Amino acid sequence: MESVEWLVEQLDKLVKESRDYKQKALLLSTKKLIQEQEKRKEQLSGELDGRLWSPGSWRE
Amino acid sequence: MKTLVILSHPSIGESGSQQFLIQSVNDHNHVTLHHLEREYPDGIIDVKKEQNLLLQHDRIIFQFPFYWYSSPPLLKHWQDEVLTEHFAYGYRGDKLHGKEFGLVLIIGVGEKEYESGGQEGFSISELTKPFQAVAKKTGMTYLKPFSIFQFAYKTEEEKMELLIAYQQYLSLKEADSLKAKEEWMLKQLEELSYDKIPVDEAPFIIDEAISMLEDNRLELDELRLHIDHYAD
Repeated sequence: MESVEWLVEQLDKLVKESRDYKQKALLLSTKKLIQEQEKRKEQLSGELDGRLWSPGSWRE
Repeated sequence: MKTLVILSHPSIGESGSQQFLIQSVNDHNHVTLHHLEREYPDGIIDVKKEQNLLLQHDRIIFQFPFYWYSSPPLLKHWQDEVLTEHFAYGYRGDKLHGKEFGLVLIIGVGEKEYESGGQEGFSISELTKPFQAVAKKTGMTYLKPFSIFQFAYKTEEEKMELLIAYQQYLSLKEADSLKAKEEWMLKQLEELSYDKIPVDEAPFIIDEAISMLEDNRLELDELRLHIDHYAD
């Protein structure tokens, strides 16, 4: 998690410093995409936990 | 994949949103921007030329302000003239088969007004039925429209996100898939030029971002694999 926060901060810095509008947009979207991946990872981990604890699969 | 954007706007110079979109893609060599009012100020359309343009592209986009729930008059006229029998439909009229067809709509009111119960009362899906029918009749795959609501009220950050989403709508095979967006982004990052970022460690940061995007994808795929395993 720490490295995600660091990277997000660094990308924000690049967005601020870049002198090209389209490049700023690309860097900002890179940050958002990484944050989206993190969210999906959390959702999928939750789903996996849920399945592991599902009584239906205990019988196996 | 080559994309043809057929743009129709009677006063494009005054449209901030259209100018913004044009600037977003003006240097993409796989996207052709084709502004009808500029090409045909007298309204007389060169049908052969337009049909040839269609043949040369895989994804056809109509981009226009959504005036009175429809397109500006020249775009309707263009459809009447260009989408002819034996070309777009009818006997041997299969020239557009297998292509993709999408809409980029610039809409002045808020998104919530186009929900049932909203001020407009009908959804974009309902109001764009004639375009869906065109896709069906001509054998093209209809893409989910790219609707831009109230451009002028967007924040700078929202506009930047819109710029990237628009580029992806024009060029991505599956614009909705996270994986496709990642692959697109990786390609853009690998080609990034650093002369406009006065930060020494910029290449290092970008390398880190690339690694994180790739590592996250591996983790996501692995999680999905485990979930599928337990779903059996």
